[in-house]
Amino acid sequence: MTGLRRYFEEIEVGEQYESPGRTVTETDIVLFAGLSGDYNVLHTDAEFMKTSIFGERIAHGLLGLAIEDGLFTRATQAYATLAFVGLRWKFRGPIKIGDTIRVRARVRAKRDLSGPDRGLVTVERKVVNQRDEVVQEGETDLMVEKKKA
Amino acid sequence: MSAVAGTYFEDIEVGTEEVTPALTLTEAHVAVYRGLTGEPNDDPGAIPDLLPLCLSTGLGSRMARPPLVVLAFMGFEWKIHRTLRVGDTIHSHSRAAVKRSMREGGVFMEDHEIIDQHGEVVQSGRLAFLMAKRTAARLSVPTG
Repeated sequence: MTGLRRYFEEIEVGEQYESPGRTVTETDIVLFAGLSGDYNVLHTDAEFMKTSIFGERIAHGLLGLAIEDGLFTRATQAYATLAFVGLRWKFRGPIKIGDTIRVRARVRAKRDLSGPDRGLVTVERKVVNQRDEVVQEGETDLMVEKKKA
Repeated sequence: MSAVAGTYFEDIEVGTEEVTPALTLTEAHVAVYRGLTGEPNDDPGAIPDLLPLCLSTGLGSRMARPPLVVLAFMGFEWKIHRTLRVGDTIHSHSRAAVKRSMREGGVFMEDHEIIDQHGEVVQSGRLAFLMAKRTAARLSVPTG
């Protein structure tokens, strides 16, 4: 796999990617509630949510982010990532059952790190739905390996 | 939201600290998470980076107090200090950091740490929630 991954020097600021779409289903939400233990009524009580401003259950925000991270890996050739260092993230709107989301990403910045063998790549990511509304967005910092000299 | 027993914006005191129960990370957590999200499996024993925070929200709902009446998870800033492995046991420590009252609800920020079985902070950051007030009318703010 290593030969197919892109090193720090090969990634250019301004590169843009778009992932395939993915339809978020009731099953995704039920599985995520079971996995995380987050059974908040927002995600699990259809009758209660009929009376809310959303009119129905919505996906957990972190489920949307987790699906986004999976979609990102399908949007571009893998980086030679050594570590996911951190992120800054905003939830802008609901993801409802049946919504189809995709990721639009852009390399915003690159900088060297103290070690000679690695650098930091900051990627701006937006999650959009089938109406092109941004439902989540933010920036992720990835530590990426440099090519061996 | 008034029908739901819960901890509302007014009930939170800045400075309050909480420690959740602990949870051992297993291959089953990783397999379900990878199937759900489509994350590739580069290292079978590694815990996917975003999984601990997902599990931490569930741990928070197991506290003795009534659950937080969250209208929206607004966003967060997060640092990942170290990768966890299958078999590690995590719990969370949180501290109520900021409260900002708004007309129909309130913004609540908490500093949140995920800690492993050795007491080491492995992930940390600040989470922002829009919370319901006991007195609030229904909100018109979208949620995440």
